[in-house]
Formats: sequence, structure tokens, C-alpha cells
Amino acid sequence: MNPVLRTEGLNKRFGGIVVSDDVNLTIAAGEILGLIGPNGAGKTSLFNLISGVLRPDSGTIRLNGQAVNGQPLYRRARMGVARTWQHMLLFRSMTVMENLLVAPRHYVGESILQVAFGRRSVRAAEHAARERAHAILNRMALDDSADMLVTDLPFGQQKLIGLARALMNDGPLLLLDEPMAGVEGAAYETMQRVVRQEAESGRAVCVVEHNVSFIRDLCSRAVFMANGRILQDGPVEELISSSTLTELYFGV
Amino acid sequence: MEYLSTIGILIAIYVILAASYNLVIGYGGLATVAHPIFFAIGAYVSGLLAIHTSLPPPVTVLVGAACAMLASLLLAASALRVSGDYLLIASLGFQLGLLQLIKNLEFTGGPGGLGGIPATIVGPARTPAYLVIAALLAIATVFAIRALVRGPYGRAITAMRDEELAFTALGRNAMSMKLVIFAIGCGIAGVAGGLYAFYFQYVSPDQFEVLQSAAILTMVVLGGMGTAFGPVVGAVLLLAIPQAITFLQLPPSIMAPMQGIIFTVLVLVFLFLRPAGIMGHAGRRRRTAGLT
Ligand SMILES: Nc1ncnc2c1ncn2[C@@H]1O[C@H](COP(=O)(O)OP(=O)(O)OP(=O)(O)O)[C@@H](O)[C@H]1O
Ligand SMILES: [Mg+2]
Repeated sequence: MNPVLRTEGLNKRFGGIVVSDDVNLTIAAGEILGLIGPNGAGKTSLFNLISGVLRPDSGTIRLNGQAVNGQPLYRRARMGVARTWQHMLLFRSMTVMENLLVAPRHYVGESILQVAFGRRSVRAAEHAARERAHAILNRMALDDSADMLVTDLPFGQQKLIGLARALMNDGPLLLLDEPMAGVEGAAYETMQRVVRQEAESGRAVCVVEHNVSFIRDLCSRAVFMANGRILQDGPVEELISSSTLTELYFGV
Repeated sequence: MEYLSTIGILIAIYVILAASYNLVIGYGGLATVAHPIFFAIGAYVSGLLAIHTSLPPPVTVLVGAACAMLASLLLAASALRVSGDYLLIASLGFQLGLLQLIKNLEFTGGPGGLGGIPATIVGPARTPAYLVIAALLAIATVFAIRALVRGPYGRAITAMRDEELAFTALGRNAMSMKLVIFAIGCGIAGVAGGLYAFYFQYVSPDQFEVLQSAAILTMVVLGGMGTAFGPVVGAVLLLAIPQAITFLQLPPSIMAPMQGIIFTVLVLVFLFLRPAGIMGHAGRRRRTAGLT
């Protein structure tokens, strides 16, 4: 069986900076893979390569066995690559609910012809999207925030909305870029629970995270990156206890 | 009466121009200065068709609008491929270049303009009839744009303007959405051009200079960029106030500078008092007027 994601010999550089150096990575369905490494290691860039924000200089990205290199960002999203952003990138002038309603990828309200001539189908899609949004907010105990301006939420809850927005679409792959940075308390517990549930539902999940205990709690396998290279790929415990990596990572 | 009706028709034409410019620049976030040239394309194409063919006038106006739309698609598709900022420069080049071409072609009447456009409607009812047509078109434009930006489509436009990358990564084709918005806005400007040509029966290249976009932009900003009725208020104010001053019957030596001063002061005062425009929500961060 194919892994959900497989990268083969992925290379990418910005001038003199190598952000991806022969990266070979696989993620299986139902797995939560941890991706760790120091600042500037190329973790976000790897997400950008996988989701189609960046084009690799060379190498292949396969989704369920199929090469997706030529597909632009929005097509890969339609093929089921969902992601969150290190800096969230929420739609800041909109409410929580609106942030979620805008997310379904085959949303009929997007087509001008549908808007003009297909009022009924637009209304049905609107209804379905709203149901789904409510269900997701309910899972995150954020029902009451639906009509708040998204920037009025506390930081941790904004992070949750970033995840909620990504969950508005089904798809085999979920990429989470530092979901825990700045998140504590109830939002932390929620984030952990929802990420675990998504993997249990069969998604392949990859989490970039500096919070090692979060990785230890959620992942069985993790990858360590530095200077665009994967230095180690294996069981989390092994990785965390590896002295060379701790040295690289924490500088101790 | 004739005079007032003509002002009314002009106001309606500028409401259409300002509303469509607002769609492109205020809602779509697409910086362009080429709006006058799409106005011109509509005017010249429908005028020329009226002179040289026997097509019914509404058809010539629609063909004019379609040409404006097509030209705008060509411009936007090539410019946006490079970047959003590039559109501004490309639109300037397009505006200047095409107007220069119009001034130098023979069949467009060159710098002297295109005259002899048939009257179509004749008799004493002509001006009132045009006033009604123009007003109806203006109202239809404003409400069609309002309907467009209020629903799910407007929500998507807002999201795209807020965070284009995140929007695209949700599987939405931001590029095609921008092209659609741009083409609709420019097509509507083409309709205004057709209306202009048929009413005045004469089109001159001077009416479509790049500075026109500054005038239209002032209407949009003054009324409230990104609001449905802002362009209406802006167009009415900026066209009606200078006209109202002419009724004071001041000598021309005072009148001309006075109009300029009042115009400038008005814009400055409003920008201070209501930075989001007369119809804008001052102070409050902008929200979508979405379905929620
Ligand atoms: N678009 C770009 N153009 C030029 N350089 C870039 C670009 N994107 C990233 N870089 C550089 O590539 C390197 C890797 O960046 P990246 O964001 O992938 O690191 P990261 O592992 O996510 O780090 P962090 O933990 O700080 O988020 C950095 O040195 C960054 O400055
Ligand atoms: Mg990063």
C-alpha cells in the first residue's frame, strides 16, 4: 500500500540557503509524524513544498502514489492536502463562522454563475457548510465564539480556529505548522485531542513542533531536520534521547 | 430642464463607473488606473457600430461591454501572472497606449473625436428617456454589485483580500476569481461608455484620459471604498456640488478657482472626518456584510 505522502529526493534552495536537501519522507494514513528541528531548519519550507506554495528545484512529491509536482497550490488542496500556518493567516476582518464558511473547497457560492442562477444550490451548500462548521466548533468547545471577530479571540483559540478551518475539508493529509506555539491551558488539551482524533479517523498528520512533550505525547515516529536535511527518522524516544541531536537542537 | 437632465445622466454614468471601479479596487483589491479606457472601449465600439451597422442600440452597447471585458481579461491575465503590483503599472501602460492608438487611428476620428453617432431616440422625449434609462442602469448596477458582494461570493472576496495564500491553500482559485471581478467591473464600465456615446452622440479621446481614474477614485474614496452605496454618494456629491455652484451665477474668474477650492476642501474635510468614506463604518475594522 502506498503511503499517503512520499517525497523523493526533494531539493530546494534560496540563493545560498539550502532549505531542502535530498528530503525523502513518507507519512502513512492514520499516523501522526513529528517534524522537529532548530529555527531555520527548513520545516516550514518543507510544508510549503508539499502543499505547493513553493516549487522544488528537483525531486518528486507523491500523494497516494500520484506525482503532484505540476499541480498548483489550490489544486493540491482540492486533492486533499490541508494545512495550517505558523502565523495562522486567519481572515482577520471576518468572524469565526465566516472564516470556516469560506473554507469548503468546492463551495458553489464561489462560482459567479451559481450565485446568479443557482440560488437554491448555494443555499443548500451554505446550510451544509454551516452544519459542518458548528460540528467542528462544538468539538473544540468554541460554539459561543462563532459570531466573534476572529481577531478578538484569545491567541490559543485563534490557533484552534486555524485548525478548524483546515478541517472544513476532508482529505488524506493534514500538515500542522507549530500548532502549539503560544497555546496553553484548555486550548492545549483541545488541540491535542482533536489532532489525535483526526489521525484516528485515518488522516495522515504531520506536526512541526518545538514543544517536545507534545510530540512525545502524540507521535510514535518523528523526523529531525537541520539545514534542510533529514538527520534522523525513527521512534520519538530514540530521537529525543539522541545526544547529537539534542546538541544540535538545544545547543547544549 | 434639459441642462439638469443632462447633469442627471452624467451623474448616472459616473455612478456606474464609480460602482464598478469600487468593485475592482475596493472589493477585489485590484489596483488599476485603466478604468477610463474600458469606458472608452464601450463608447467607441458602440458608437462605431451605431454609425456603420444597423444593429439595435442595446446590442451595440452589449458588444461594446463585451469588448471592454475581453480587453480587461487580456490585461489582467497577463499582468496578474507576474504579480498584483504589476497590474498597476501594466494598467497605466494599457490606458496610455490604447488611448494614444485611438487618437491616431482614422476610423475612431483621431484626436478630434468620433462624431455622427445616430440619435436613436428623437423628439422632445429624448432627454427624459435617456435620463430614465441611465438611472435604471445605475440602480441595476449598484444593486447587482451589492447582491454579489453580500453573499458567499463576497465572503470569498474578503477572505482573498485578507489572506490570499491561506485562501488559495483551501482549494480556491484566487487568480480566476480576480479575473472574474476585473472583467465584470471593466465590462460595466463599457456599458457606461455605450450609454455615453448614445446620449452625447459624440465621443472625444479627451474624456478618457488617465486623470479620469483619479476623479472616479475620489468618488469611491469619498463615498466609502468597499461599501455598496458609497460610490453613489461620492458620484452625486462630486458632480452635483460644482454644478450647484454654477447656479450662484458668479463671474467665471471667481467661479473656476472656487470650484477647485471647494472640491479640494470637501475631499480633505471628509477624509479627516470619515476616513472610511461617508458610507464607511468609521473606526470599526471592516467586516463583511456576509450572510452571517
Ligand atoms: N521565500 C523565501 N525566500 C528566501 N529565503 C527563505 C524563504 N523561505 C524561507 N527562507 C529561508 O529558509 C530557511 C528555512 O526557513 P523555514 O521557515 O523553512 O524554517 P523553519 O524550520 O520553519 O524555522 P522555524 O522553526 O523558525 O519556523 C530560513 O533561513 C529562511 O530565512
Ligand atoms: Mg517554520
